[in-house]
Amino acid sequence: MIKFRWMTAFVVLFVLVTSACSNGGGAPQDDEIKLILGAYTTPREAYSQIIPLFQAKWLAETGQTVIFEESYLGSGAQSRAVVDGFEADVVALSLEADVNRIQDAGLISHDWKAGTYRGIITTSIVSFAVREGNPLGVQDWADLAESGIDILTPNPNTSGGAMWNILAIYGASLRGQISDVPADNPEAAARFLRSILSNVSVMDKAARDSILNFEKGIGDLAITYENEVLVGRKSGQKYELVIPSSTILIENPIAIVDASVDKHDTREAAEAFVEFLYTQQAQEIFAQHGLRVVNPDVAAANESQYPAVPDLFTVEYFGGWDEIMIDIFGENGVYTQAILQIQGGGE
Amino acid sequence: MDVSSVRSMPRRRWSESIIRAPTFVYMIVMILIPLLVILQDGFREGLGSFWHQISLPIARHAILLTLWTSAIMTIINALMGLMTAYVFVRYEFPGKRVLNAIVDLPLAIPTLVTGVMLVMLYGPQEALGNFLMEKIGLQVIFAAPGIVISLLFISFPFVVRSIQPVLEELDLTQEYAAATLGAKPWRIFRKIVLPALIMPTISGSLLSFSRAIGEFGAVVIVAGNIPLKTQTAAVYVLGAVESENRLGASAISILLIAFSLFVLMLANIMQKRWGAHR
Repeated sequence: MIKFRWMTAFVVLFVLVTSACSNGGGAPQDDEIKLILGAYTTPREAYSQIIPLFQAKWLAETGQTVIFEESYLGSGAQSRAVVDGFEADVVALSLEADVNRIQDAGLISHDWKAGTYRGIITTSIVSFAVREGNPLGVQDWADLAESGIDILTPNPNTSGGAMWNILAIYGASLRGQISDVPADNPEAAARFLRSILSNVSVMDKAARDSILNFEKGIGDLAITYENEVLVGRKSGQKYELVIPSSTILIENPIAIVDASVDKHDTREAAEAFVEFLYTQQAQEIFAQHGLRVVNPDVAAANESQYPAVPDLFTVEYFGGWDEIMIDIFGENGVYTQAILQIQGGGE
Repeated sequence: MDVSSVRSMPRRRWSESIIRAPTFVYMIVMILIPLLVILQDGFREGLGSFWHQISLPIARHAILLTLWTSAIMTIINALMGLMTAYVFVRYEFPGKRVLNAIVDLPLAIPTLVTGVMLVMLYGPQEALGNFLMEKIGLQVIFAAPGIVISLLFISFPFVVRSIQPVLEELDLTQEYAAATLGAKPWRIFRKIVLPALIMPTISGSLLSFSRAIGEFGAVVIVAGNIPLKTQTAAVYVLGAVESENRLGASAISILLIAFSLFVLMLANIMQKRWGAHR
């Protein structure tokens, strides 16, 4: 019995100590407000330039200082963190499915896709990074199916972003944009996907890891996003960008998390921040960091850097993310089956 | 139990519970509850779903790859660990203290760093990696050999450190006697030293095996992670978590835990045996 009482005492003590610790943080003062931004990693540098501009603007307009708490993680991990209790006021993620997860958990209660831009803040496209001078002469998807080319693309199971790459290949072939692959023929499109996947030598766990490996000199080509290549080249990397004639438009959503802003009483500032991200000033900064933008004026001004793609499609072509998760990446999905057949086909 | 402990019995119970209760609570909170959570999660949809998850071809291949690379690592580790420990205990050489300290270093290096290090050494673009590839046709990084090498690195101390104390305590007089009677060094090693070291070698190896099957950080960097080819179980689990397949993640995790538990229990039994023999 003595043993038992001690155990209870210990548990009580443990609870007391932990609850005492959590009472630490002080409440913010009236002339200060704190916004928590939960974002994916790509736009980190852009936000580090945009946030001070917004802070200055808000201070001038309201006399209030906005303190930002920024968290940058992989999009899927960030989304799950919010669902699991990370109280981000605003989430900026790489794909809609990650915002939907937060919405499904009941934390976003408004229609976040209601605005002019359907909740999308920036876009990019799936493209290729090739070695300096493009020694293999890669022009389009068909060149990736040739034997002997060593391709890097991240693993779609660990990297939400990697799914874009698979969707781009499958979509381009399904839409009849690849010579020798008939349009609207799932069988032929899947075969084409297999022939590219069988040239993949490394599937890194995240898109960033993949491009880093490419920078280290591994592989002939990396399937990646336009913004990764542009940012890499800006920082002195010698690889080159090749945009295929048919590819998918990557749309990066942004949303206010109702549960968090209501709890923190920060809705007004959060809304102003998101609105600010659509201004010419902010969109221009996104454009400088390799991202295509939704503001038509800014997009038009940067057209030389971001050429139009002859055949550009979105996830809607596949019926949306819910369908994609089952039809493409599910247990019997096109991608999963392709992987099974490549390895099972006696390589 | 000796006389003194019997005499202080009433006091002892009191002080014993002071130590015991927190220990139990600590173990329950830190280890048992998380394990139960994952166990419950993996079986929440019944045995059928559990079985389905672990028998999916990609999952099954990942588990098998993990097991066989870990097994190869264990065999190499057993042999080389035995040799290393013997050299450390029985020979004097300059730099021995430094080398001896380095043995534990792999435990202190983040395994992710281990992976990066190995890619820098054996990567296809690096001198050594390129040499092995061109001259011998051996691909290390993004292939199974890379997995084995990274596992060897991270579990290096286990065998050495479980043999060393035993070897240090070994009675030298038997070996002297054998030598006096004309036994050759190899025969002395085989007949006197080796029998005493077999159990610690095996238990150390089993420890390293159970450490290896859960390894993620180093392996995710060096393996290449292609499903059905170079994707290990731990990397598969991450993929399952990331793609909302929590049941799959939990099921494979349970399987890995079960393997570890089995191996650790084996190691425990071996250790007891060896303890009794001594």
